[in-house]
Amino acid sequence: MIFNPVDIILSFVLLSVLFSFGTDRVQVLIKLVGFQGIVISIIPFFIGHDMTTGGTVFTLATLLIRGIIIPLSIFVAIRKGAIRRLVEPIVGYHASILCGLALIIGATYISARLDIVSVSGFKLLEPTAIALLVTGMFLLMARRNAIAMVIGYIMMENGIYLVGSGLSVGTRHIVEFGILLDVLAGVMIMAVILRNIKQTFDDVDTALLRTLKD
Amino acid sequence: MVEIVFAIPFIAGLIAFFLPKFLGRSLLVVIGAVHLTLSFRLWKNHPPAYFDQYFAVTPEGMLSLLVISLLFFLISIYTVGYLRESEIPSEGLFTGSMLVFLATMTMVTLSDHIMVMWIAIEATTLASAPLIYTHRSAASLEATWKYVLICSVGIAMALLGSVLVAFSMGQANSGTPLSFSALAGAAKTLDPVWLKAGFVFVLVGYGTKMGLAPMHTWLPDAHSEAPSPASALLSGVLLNCAYLGIFKTNKIMVAAGLQDFSGGILMVFGLLSILAAATFILKQNEYKRMLAYSSIENMGIIAFGTGVGGLGVYGAVICMLHHSLIKSSLFLSSGNILLGYGDRLIKNTGNLVKGMPRTFVAFFAGFAGIAGFPPFGIFIGEFCIVIAAFKAGFHVAVTVFILSLCVIFAGFANQVMKISFDETDTVIKMKESISMVWPQYLLLLTSLVLCFFIPDSLNQTISDAITAIGGGLK
Repeated sequence: MIFNPVDIILSFVLLSVLFSFGTDRVQVLIKLVGFQGIVISIIPFFIGHDMTTGGTVFTLATLLIRGIIIPLSIFVAIRKGAIRRLVEPIVGYHASILCGLALIIGATYISARLDIVSVSGFKLLEPTAIALLVTGMFLLMARRNAIAMVIGYIMMENGIYLVGSGLSVGTRHIVEFGILLDVLAGVMIMAVILRNIKQTFDDVDTALLRTLKD
Repeated sequence: MVEIVFAIPFIAGLIAFFLPKFLGRSLLVVIGAVHLTLSFRLWKNHPPAYFDQYFAVTPEGMLSLLVISLLFFLISIYTVGYLRESEIPSEGLFTGSMLVFLATMTMVTLSDHIMVMWIAIEATTLASAPLIYTHRSAASLEATWKYVLICSVGIAMALLGSVLVAFSMGQANSGTPLSFSALAGAAKTLDPVWLKAGFVFVLVGYGTKMGLAPMHTWLPDAHSEAPSPASALLSGVLLNCAYLGIFKTNKIMVAAGLQDFSGGILMVFGLLSILAAATFILKQNEYKRMLAYSSIENMGIIAFGTGVGGLGVYGAVICMLHHSLIKSSLFLSSGNILLGYGDRLIKNTGNLVKGMPRTFVAFFAGFAGIAGFPPFGIFIGEFCIVIAAFKAGFHVAVTVFILSLCVIFAGFANQVMKISFDETDTVIKMKESISMVWPQYLLLLTSLVLCFFIPDSLNQTISDAITAIGGGLK
């Protein structure tokens, strides 16, 4: 049985998912999310459609934004603020890795049962998409560092993009580009807020952001 | 051309970032007036859109657009007075964001494509984030952070839901455009399993933005920290925009014969929101947060009414219109109270009736309207919903509904009495200028008129909007 290139690079993404459960440093998380962004952006090149000029340009723009600009903007926000580099786990690292393993097994099991016709050629597409989505949510819930939470959000968006491209939803490129711009603007605004949080509270621990409540 | 209605405020907003104070304030009012005129022309003429794959004039969209336009115009007049009274750092950013916010909300009401709808709703989050951080305090930073993160993550869920809805088209409908109207037309051929999954995600996603419990946690913080004109916009129209996303997706569900499924979920989230509001409003000690919880309650009522169907949908739409008009006036009045007393806590206010008599009239009348006194609009809407729910046999749900409304009324009344009549020795720091009370009066007056007289054309628009999701006056 011959593995196709998509499954091979997606298996690296699954590994990076596992890695992001276990890492304690935000810089590593940023690099991981950048790597995932690059991989999921080039997937359309391998999926059987004929690439038009517009499609190629759009794919390259996605690559530029998801793979480079978004991770870089978070990186710059950190550098300027000299923010603390640990992710402040609520769930410990070992337990996190165990969660990650369970997640990958669960995602594979579920997507095997989903019976999705259009992408039957690639075995790892749906498991990876589900894994990215859930990992993003995990980072949002189980880390107190605000940067790790933003990265969780980006990972979720990457997962949704992968679902969309995997299911080959026939939207126009202009619409997908609009979605991409929204995500980019959202991350930029979050980066600005991160910098302000650092300046105001001298830390990015979200435990400090709990004064407003009933 | 339909697109011009959101193109104009968008461009004006970009310009306003760089304008000096005086010009920026004038631009706000001028664009508000232009937008109102254009919206009325759109409503009268129903022109086709230039990009007709993405935008369309729909009855439910028109209803929201009219509300947005009227509210923005009146709020912009108030804002001029508000900006004169209060110190706001970088006013250009504030006025610019207000205008871009108006543009994005207009885009929501006109979009017919499910992905364009998502783009527009996410854009409203991004455009309104700077408004919440206007005061540059630690608390407003926290509110902005929660708002942007919770809403973005929530709306990401709606994107996933939209992708799943698109996936329900399967191979059979590969030529169908991804527009709400086309999908509702082809609803019978859609895969019901994917459609159901898509609806759940869309409801959770846009429900976060609409303030449905348990995803409502950002709402009281954002509404209390934002300056009052922005709170009025957030509560009065932004929540409706998110509701519009749910409404339109529900239209597909009803067309596909899945209204029991979608209605059930809507009712559960609606009841949860009303219960959450009832729990928190009783012990509330800040008046702006109290108003925010009242918004959660009203969104719950609207979701519940939509879920019940039939007359309930009519009630929900009536509640939506009146909630927008009344709640925005209440938030504007709360801005006067904040400027007058200089404090957000209820216990540091009091004797509003003597201290700020004009604001008191607006505030108290708004309270009477929003609390559901007959014969005001909210009462009519809630009454329709209750009747529809009894007719449909949801006895337990409607009992919980009525009891929670009573609790909320008691809690709300208690706090309003304290603000209005309690003894205090605070010296009022603000003069009630005309531009800071008349917008509230006009909003309340519009609501009052609509209780007794709904123009035929408006009535027609309402009934066109609700028949598509199985609602009607029966």
